[in-house]
Formats: sequence, structure tokens, C-alpha cells
Amino acid sequence: MGEVFDLQLINTAMRQSTPLILAALGGLMSERVGVVNIGLEGKILMGAFAGALGALFTGSPWVGLACAILVGLVFALIHAVATQELRTDHIVSGVAINLLALGLSTYLFRQIIVPLEEQGKSSVVQGFTPIWVGWLSEVPILGALLTDQTWLVVFAFVLPIALWYLLRTTRWGLRVYAVGNDSVKSRTMGVPVKRLRYLGVLLSGAFAGMAGAFLTLASADQFRENMSAGRGFIALAALIFGRWHPMGAALAAFAFGFFEALQMRLQGQPLFGVQLPTDLLLMLPYLLTVIALMGFLGRMKPPSDLGN
Amino acid sequence: MANRRQEPMDRKWLWQAVLGALIVLGVLSLLILLSGQPLSVGYVKILQGALGWPPSETLTPLDAWDSVLHDMTLVLLTGLSVAVALQAGLFNIGAAGQLLMGAMVASWVGVQQDIPAPLHLPLALGAGALAGALWGLVPALLKVWRGAHEVISTIMFNYIALYLTHWLVVEHLKDPAGDAPQTAPVLETAQLAPLGAFLSTTWGFVLAVVIALGFWLVLYRTVWGYELRATGANRDAAEAGGAPTRRRMIESMLLAGAFAGLAGAIEVCGASGRFFEGFPTDYGFDGIAVALLGANNPLLILLSSWVMSALRSGTYNLHSETGAPKEIAVIVQAVLILYVAAVYLRRQRVEGS
Repeated sequence: MGEVFDLQLINTAMRQSTPLILAALGGLMSERVGVVNIGLEGKILMGAFAGALGALFTGSPWVGLACAILVGLVFALIHAVATQELRTDHIVSGVAINLLALGLSTYLFRQIIVPLEEQGKSSVVQGFTPIWVGWLSEVPILGALLTDQTWLVVFAFVLPIALWYLLRTTRWGLRVYAVGNDSVKSRTMGVPVKRLRYLGVLLSGAFAGMAGAFLTLASADQFRENMSAGRGFIALAALIFGRWHPMGAALAAFAFGFFEALQMRLQGQPLFGVQLPTDLLLMLPYLLTVIALMGFLGRMKPPSDLGN
Repeated sequence: MANRRQEPMDRKWLWQAVLGALIVLGVLSLLILLSGQPLSVGYVKILQGALGWPPSETLTPLDAWDSVLHDMTLVLLTGLSVAVALQAGLFNIGAAGQLLMGAMVASWVGVQQDIPAPLHLPLALGAGALAGALWGLVPALLKVWRGAHEVISTIMFNYIALYLTHWLVVEHLKDPAGDAPQTAPVLETAQLAPLGAFLSTTWGFVLAVVIALGFWLVLYRTVWGYELRATGANRDAAEAGGAPTRRRMIESMLLAGAFAGLAGAIEVCGASGRFFEGFPTDYGFDGIAVALLGANNPLLILLSSWVMSALRSGTYNLHSETGAPKEIAVIVQAVLILYVAAVYLRRQRVEGS
């Protein structure tokens, strides 16, 4: 089975894992300041829709991306106000945001994009073009990995390193850890808890919106109903698997993206002589997360002040 | 999860309820207008679908009620599923997965040839409930033994159920008589009978209502129910008071799974008659709204499940007659959840946060 595992598979895995990494890091920014965020799925979906709409009407993927981030921020703001000002339960608010995103994106899709298609116009958007690789394509390994990738992929792979550095070394990063571990003590020590929480939740909205924009502007070039297809929850799983650490979460997200790529590559053909059903491969991230939660892979400890 | 207590029925409560109703009507009106329909047409279509009134040329009142009661059967049970867990302080996001497992297992029992007739239906329903209960048990055990958050594990179990049932229905339990990814229809001996000659709603509806009433009695009139509620209200205090809180939490998730699994089984033995690819899971998520709106009280959930089903059925009628997107119901439901959560279910203030 030499032809199953090659650099092209890793190349596809990088593309598949990009939205997962972005969303998982979004979840990280929110949960690290103590705000549970199961609304990632909804923000990805709205980001995908807004990205497609923006690019469709202006012809520019950059405007699409800006729209996606903006919508992600708006939905994050709803979550922030609900949990911080109205003291709504974090999970209930997240559930409502997912529902709202599903309803709103499908509603607007049917009201705006479907009529266009019925008039015979195309709903395919101008997405991002692959980055220029130039002489890099001659470099072994790296060249093959970067071929046909958009800059969003590169961004998603640099972001965890940047966040890791920022969280570890800057005053902001240390305060983020402090708020997530004990908001009461942090406040006593003069840390602006609420401001940090707003920032964290808003960042999660921006990253999740970008993840959605990737789906429509760099992957499918078209919006489809409920196209986030559980990625927000896989990202959440990656966050837990990666123990709420930027590098860990990104690695887990990459692993989950790799399973997706492998499943796409296999398309039902046997691997090492074993027939692996597609559904079971797709189930793997969720199953692994449950096993991780069982404690076989060491303790999965969330930020201690999560949900208050 | 914060402790949730109903506020007393004072003037503030009433004022907030009126405000909530106004917000919902406002959103609904806006969505009707954005769909290009005048309000008069929109609300008439919604009422026709929800109540069978005013008279419609395309939809008889019986059809409208059939549709409402069918949905109500399912969301009543998934609502009870979410509620029983919440009463014990656990958030069951997994009703959708438990419903799928119940439906899958019930359809498997429903096609077995060699089960004697009087036992077949109860066995199919019971097996569905059991499958759902087991699907709820694992997250409960993870919570009690490992401290794993039940929200995360029930979400994971939803997706595992989704892919597992999809795999089963496509690869292993497909009806050999056709190419469609669906199981064979359940045998006549495992089918729920319709309530009346004109009403296609099955006895599953009556079963669901009886369960709601029975569950209310158990919850508010037995020691077990008291301990369950005490566990949810304040686990440490309940533990100190001698309640076996771990047991009650596990039992609540078993029951939650059983309710949702039974919903799936009722759908398979009733309206849909079989399990198929893309079996609806949204009833599971509707259960969250139904439980929150009904303040986790089985009697109020009877009411909220009817309201949600009427809304769903009404907007569906609007959709089929005017082409307005049927997602209007989903948006309204989301707004309703946010409002109820923000006004009635606020977390207790923690010093300094």
C-alpha cells in the first residue's frame, strides 16, 4: 500500500485540518479565559455563509473573508454579552447560537443564493488562489506540502506557534491563564477580567469565522446548507485532546484532518488488507476523544475556572 | 451548570413573559416579511398548520393536528430526556444520538420474524428505550468516575451514533428488497396502531403523555424524585443530606437515554415504519428548547412540547404553501432559548466574577 501514504496525503491533510485548527484555536482563546464555547459550529457555519455571500457580490475573496470574520465577531459578541452581562448559562447560550446559525444561514441561503441559481446565475464564488511557491517547489518535502495551498493554510499552521509564544511570554498571555484558572483571584490582583474575557470570546469568533471562510473561499467555492458538518465539534474535541494547549490542540486538529484525508484517499479500498468502512474512519475523532475522556491518555484537565 | 429554580409567580414574571412573547412575535413577523409574504397571509398559514384553523382549502384540521401531535410525541419525549438529566444537574445534549440508537435497535427488533405477536411491539419499543439508555449511561459513568463533562461526551456520542447507525443501515441492515439505504419495514406485529380511523397519529402519543404524567408523579411525589432534584439543586448539600448523588446522576442519564431512545422507537414503529439514511435528529435538539421552556417540569413540558410542535407545523405549512424557508421555526426557537436562558435561567452570581 505504498501509494496510500505519500506527501500528497499530508498535503490534503493540511488542507482538511486548516478549518479544524483555526476553530480549535478559537475555542482555546475562549475556554482559556473561562468561557465555554460550544457555539464554534454555528460560527463556522455563519462564517462560511458570510464568506460566500461577500465574495459572491464583490468578486473578492478578501471581502468575503472580512465578512466572515465580522459575522463571527457578531455571533461571539452575542455569546459574550449573554454569558458576561446577562449571566446566561454558557452551554445554553452556545446551543442557542448553533441553532440560530443553522436557521439563519439556511434561511438566508434560500432567500438570497437559491433565487440566483434559479435565475440561472452561478453561485460559485471567486475563492483564494494558491500561494506562489516559486523556487520553494523544488525543495524536497516542503515543496510538495506547499503546492496548491492557499495562504489560509499557512496561516493556520503558523498561528498555533504564534499563540503559544504570545500566551507564554506576554503580559496578556499570562493574564489569560490567570483568568482561566481563578477569575476571582485575578480580579483581586487587578486583572481586568471582563475585558480579557470579551477579547478571548471575540477572538474565538474571528478564528471560527475564518475557519468558515476557508470552507467556502478555499475549499468548496460554494455554500451548501449546514456545510460546517460537525467541524466545530471536532475542533472542540481537538481542544480537549490537546489539553487546552495551542500546540496540542493544533496537533490534535491536524491528526483529525489526517483521518479525513485518509478517508478521502481510501474511498472504501482496503488498507493493509483490511477494509475500513468510511463511517468508522469519520467516527474516529469522536471515539478517540471519548477514550481520552476515559483517562487512558492521562488526565484531561480543563482550565479550572471554566463556566463561571 | 447553575442551579435553576423557578421564580415566584409575581408581576415581574408576568411582565417578562409578555416581553418574551412580544420578542418572539416580532422576530416571527420580521421573518415572514423578509420571506416576501404579507403578515396577514403569513400568520393565517401558520395558524392553519398549527391549529387547523382558520379553515384551509389545502389542509384539513385533522391533518394539521396529526402533524402537530406526531411532532409533539417526539419532542415531548426528548424534552423529558433533557429535563430528567437537568433535574439531576446534568446537561444531556445527547438526546439526538440516543434517539438514533433507539430507532436503529427498534427497527432491528421490528423486522425479526420469530417473535410472537403480542410481545413484538413491546419488545421493539423496550429495546429502543434500552439502547438509548445504554447510550446515555456511558457519558454518565465518565462524569461520575472521571469527572468528564457530560456536555462534551454526549456531543461525541451524538456523532458516534450518527456514523454507527449510518454504517449499519448502509452496510449491514439494509433492506435486501431494494437499493435504498433503509432497513426493511417493521412487521405489522411491531407497528403502533393509529389513534382513530381519521387520525394517523399513533398510540405512541398516548404512551408519551402517560410517561410525562407518570414522570411528574415520580419526580415530585417520591423520595427518589426528591433526591434527584436535590442532587441537581446542590450536589454537596444532597450528599451531606444522605442522598446517593452519584447513583441518582447515573439513573437520571439512564432515564434520559431511555426517553430519547423510546422516541426513536415510536417513530420507527409508527410514522416512518423503518430506519433510513438521514433519520431526523433535530427532534433531539428541539428537546433542549422544550425542556428549557417547560422549566424541566413534566407538566409544563406537555405544554411547551405542544407549543414547539405547533410552531414547527405552522411554519412548515407556511413553507409548503408559499415557499418561505421552513427554517423560520429554527430561528424563532433559537431566539426563544436565548431569551428564556437570559431572563429565567441566570447563573448565581459568583463573588468577584
